[in-house]
Amino acid sequence: METPTALQNVLYMPRTFATTESNKTGAWRFLRPRYEEKTSPCGAACPAGEDIARIEMLITQGAFKEAWETILMENPLPGVCGRVCYHPCEGRCNRREFDAAVAIHSLERFLADAAARNETKPALPRQPAAGRRIAIIGAGPAGLSAAWFLNILGYETDIFEAMPAAGGMTRWGIPAYRLPEAALSAEIARIEAQGVRIHTGETVTAARFEEMRKSYDALFLGCGHWRGLSLDIPGATGVGVEEGLSFLRDIRGGVRRDIPGVSAVIGGGNTAIDVARTIIRRGGRAIIVYRRRREDMPAFAEETRSAQEEGVELRELLAPVRIDAAAGGCVLTLQPMTVVGQDQDGRGKIVPAAAAPVRIAAQRVFTAAGAGTAAPWHEPPASGASGAVLALSHCVLLQDDRGAPVVYGGDLAARDKNVTQAIASGKQAALALDVLFRHGVGSVRERLASCVVGHGPALSLEIYLGGPRRERNAHIVTYEEINADYFQYEPRLVQPRLLIEERHSSFDEIELKISAHTAMREAGRCFHCGICNNCDNCYLFCPDVAILRARDMTDRHIDYDYCKGCGLCVVECPRNAMTLEEETP
Amino acid sequence: MKKVLEGSQAVAEAVRLAKVQVISAYPITPQTHIVEILSDYVATGRMNAKYLRVESEHSCMAALIGAQSAGVRTFTATCSQGLALMHELLHWAAGARLPIVMGEVNRALAPGWNIWCDQTDSLAQRDTGWMQLYCEDSQEVLDATILAYRLAERVNLPTMVVLDAFYLSHTYEPVDVPEQEEVDRFLPPYKPAFTLDPGHPYSLSPLVTPNAYMEMRHDIALAMEDALAIFDEVEGEFARIMGRRYGAVEEIDTDDADVIFVTSGAVTSTVRLVLEELRSRGEKVGALKIKLFRPFPTEAVRRALSKGRKAVVVDRNYSFGASGIFAQEVRAALCNAPGHPPVFGYIAGLGGRDITTQMLSHIYFEVKESEAPLRESVWVGRQEVNRAT
Amino acid sequence: MQLEAMDRELMCSGHVGCPGCGATIAMRFALKTLGEKTIMVLPACCWSVIAGPFPQSSLKIPVIHTAFETGGATASGVRAALDMRGDEETTVVVWAGDGGTFDIGFQALSGAVERNENFIYICYDNEAYMNTGIQRSSSTPYGAWTTTTSGSDWKKLRKKNIVEALVAHRIPYAATANIAYPEDLVRKVRKARETKGSRFLHIYASCPTGWRIPAEMSVRIARMAVQTNIFPLYEVENGIDYTINVKPREYLVREYFKLQGRFRHLSEEDLDQIQGMVNEDWERLLRKAGERA
Repeated sequence: METPTALQNVLYMPRTFATTESNKTGAWRFLRPRYEEKTSPCGAACPAGEDIARIEMLITQGAFKEAWETILMENPLPGVCGRVCYHPCEGRCNRREFDAAVAIHSLERFLADAAARNETKPALPRQPAAGRRIAIIGAGPAGLSAAWFLNILGYETDIFEAMPAAGGMTRWGIPAYRLPEAALSAEIARIEAQGVRIHTGETVTAARFEEMRKSYDALFLGCGHWRGLSLDIPGATGVGVEEGLSFLRDIRGGVRRDIPGVSAVIGGGNTAIDVARTIIRRGGRAIIVYRRRREDMPAFAEETRSAQEEGVELRELLAPVRIDAAAGGCVLTLQPMTVVGQDQDGRGKIVPAAAAPVRIAAQRVFTAAGAGTAAPWHEPPASGASGAVLALSHCVLLQDDRGAPVVYGGDLAARDKNVTQAIASGKQAALALDVLFRHGVGSVRERLASCVVGHGPALSLEIYLGGPRRERNAHIVTYEEINADYFQYEPRLVQPRLLIEERHSSFDEIELKISAHTAMREAGRCFHCGICNNCDNCYLFCPDVAILRARDMTDRHIDYDYCKGCGLCVVECPRNAMTLEEETP
Repeated sequence: MKKVLEGSQAVAEAVRLAKVQVISAYPITPQTHIVEILSDYVATGRMNAKYLRVESEHSCMAALIGAQSAGVRTFTATCSQGLALMHELLHWAAGARLPIVMGEVNRALAPGWNIWCDQTDSLAQRDTGWMQLYCEDSQEVLDATILAYRLAERVNLPTMVVLDAFYLSHTYEPVDVPEQEEVDRFLPPYKPAFTLDPGHPYSLSPLVTPNAYMEMRHDIALAMEDALAIFDEVEGEFARIMGRRYGAVEEIDTDDADVIFVTSGAVTSTVRLVLEELRSRGEKVGALKIKLFRPFPTEAVRRALSKGRKAVVVDRNYSFGASGIFAQEVRAALCNAPGHPPVFGYIAGLGGRDITTQMLSHIYFEVKESEAPLRESVWVGRQEVNRAT
Repeated sequence: MQLEAMDRELMCSGHVGCPGCGATIAMRFALKTLGEKTIMVLPACCWSVIAGPFPQSSLKIPVIHTAFETGGATASGVRAALDMRGDEETTVVVWAGDGGTFDIGFQALSGAVERNENFIYICYDNEAYMNTGIQRSSSTPYGAWTTTTSGSDWKKLRKKNIVEALVAHRIPYAATANIAYPEDLVRKVRKARETKGSRFLHIYASCPTGWRIPAEMSVRIARMAVQTNIFPLYEVENGIDYTINVKPREYLVREYFKLQGRFRHLSEEDLDQIQGMVNEDWERLLRKAGERA
């Protein structure tokens, strides 16, 4: 028998029986962290406003379809842009200051190719039918883009295209070695599958245009600059002189034609480069003649470099004076130029040098000195005869009493004329029309300003539709705000390319495909500036176990009952997706 | 079974019979025989225990605190410097309510180095919350060690079994060693009141603020009070099985005594001889042996000493600036008892000097002839010292 | 980074650690890896307070608080008891600060490791007696201000190399780790858990309060300690085989020192001298790891 004692098994001793969770240490806090995504410099630099940081993040997770759809929310032509866009995104990539920019364009192309190969159907949110029909003139990138976004916004769209196939300049002006036909066709097919009607071989005349203004609710005019400008020099229309754009169109159209011997190409834009490289592939030699310096050329530097690799000769600071017919071709006379100071646009200002003219003998001369509208009524009006003209960054909106509103877009209205700016123009037009129908023309500027990426000018459909991207701070993340300790030096993806020899005889695409593994690795180099990629640093490093995660590990929030405001989560966020601010009492 | 054992062997036998599971020890003379024997028992499989050959007494007690907290019966033995080194953790073991049992061989503290008998080492630990049992002979050492487990585990406080250096630790005497079955009946397997267990994760000995510290200390005080009754109860059970009983105190010829010696430890046997001699000469002398020093059996001491006209405490220890420590305790116990006898304090046998029958007779007659103590402590058997060198 | 078992949370909110405390981060990582079947021995240190005053505990495992100098010994006893109870599954872990490891607890640690006691000893190192108010320990680095090495009397002695001291015991596993390198830390805790015998982890755990640094810089400075070679991440098996685990970017030690108030008094010459010491130690480590002849 044991004597019961008060002490047995009910010892009052230093032994715990509760947790510390009743201490609400959040009361200590005078700084408050919060999740706040910011804007990546690449996304802000993209004329189409693509959410690049997020796209690359999805690639690292192997979520290729979601990544592709994320592009499609802002750009209907990733397969085109992944190939021919001048990728200003890469020029602003914060990773440049660490090692080298992420090969964003290669990844974009990879996603488009993967989607095309697998015949993936995008699942995009389509707004309820608006009950309005929009006519789009021109199935180039601007028209396709306008149709795409209008379609998502709930409009019925008809595209009228004069040429036998859609694509505009992407089909007829860009050689196949840069943009293979299949890649373009896959994109157009997808756009049509989404519900956009494309009527090819239908030229819209001025009269038909006026008719359409009565029968449609709005029009988008995006018929581009198709007329190659001729040089205003003697002999410019003579024998042996050809217009570059027409030449490219013929080749794309299937004309098999050899271009032996030496050809001179006059111009410094992408067309000049394309013409020269096409000549190389057709068995000739090409000399590009440009009146300014190489660094002043509007052509993309990479294109110029590739052209030179392939054997194109580049002669700078030579202004054409005259073209004379000669035995077996013509002689091009050029005036040497010299640079004195700068133009308003920052390029070198050139004046004739005190030097004797230079003569180049060539079988033929191609001119590629710019292009203009095919008809005067394509030009956007400076002001409405009776109504409002709204000049936006990438298009001009006309609303008058002659009929439905018209948006002039693409090359007709863009300052920089290229595919991506055309896409930006189409998007701007679509959003502008939607605002116009919903809130009136007076709201267009303001509403568009509220859906720019960063500080603009690129617009985001996702932001316009109130998606999560709207929550992001417009602040553009700088390299200093990246916690570079979390990143290892990794060489940039080296895109496999055709050999120079292979390029001489073929229009096969130069840049070859990359594997999913390579794509994921390259996307892994991305800092994902300003956006959360679920790295979990905030959760891991929290000394107070005050970061709560959803079961699927994606959604996090801060438990302010316990957060002491040490700020570690904010500093250890590798990509500035958090903000620390003073606690408001 | 009767065996002729050293006091050290008696301790070791008791530890074996108590089925101790973790032993931790650091060698110090004269404790060494105890831990050597136990080491041999573990090595030869006579005991199923872990033996931690730690690098200091401090670590030794820390290891036992860890082991006992993890739910097993533990043992160590030490003395003197070793015990002093443990001091911090003696408090810890008690505050953590751990029923650790220790064999403590009374040895003098340095300097100068002295390995011989002196009680100051254990008495200096009187405020640590350990129970202390002082033994007179090897049989009592064995019995007290077994009993200490039962007692400690009942009240959740650690217990020290104290034996005199050499007089007990190294002296062979006949000892009746109980059978394992008998011990098992008396001492069931250890059932801890709490234990470190991942299934029930709590913290032991955390920070305690002024909000709760005092109540926890009061609980220890209550446990010590309870321990007085529990000691008697447990001894009763022990006596039923083993046929031996000692008491928290033992009164010897006190009923008609004018002078009552108060003793502890092996010197009690010497007093018994002196009593025999003096009684035969008609002297009315008795003795009170204090076995249980913590908790202090105040009532029993009052009861016993109030029978005599004078009490004389022989202390083999000293608290500098005060007096012999048993004398202090006895005085404290008596001071609130009305009409209590005067308490004479004698200091004898420090550092292993023999306390002889002649010395004790001398004390008796000195006390008999004094009305009241002239001083708190009288040092007996002191020799002349030459300070000139 | 995605870390296995990182969902497991055995530490509670509401503890009283200072904002940005590196020692609590270290504890979280360690416990996530160690799991529920762990008994922790906690000698006096900051964590004696962070673990919560009675009746609260901020840890969801059994803990035994113990005296300052007893980590190694108490753990020996806990392990012995578990062995006697037939519990081989539970891991015994000592969680001690630098004072309790380098200084007052060194004897008990050395004794336990010499006996090859089967437990993990983790020292979270904040380089001074922080719990008592920033007094210098033998882990305080050369150059540091503390409340007992103040003014011109800043510490002019080297930090004790505790891992080398343990390696001299031929300990089965010893490693350094750092709160800024969770993957490495977690791997080492796991490796320690899977090793038998004595195991020692030396975890660098920054202390915003004691180092005079902003709370939010705690991890960044910890990372810098590795990147400057001030606190190299390496492991030693059986006291013989050295492996350096993280290749540092070899920033200058200046970058590390200039961020911390405790080093504010150091001159350019002092920093040069410290750089020399760090280089020398690093070269020595490289040789031990066989990365230098």
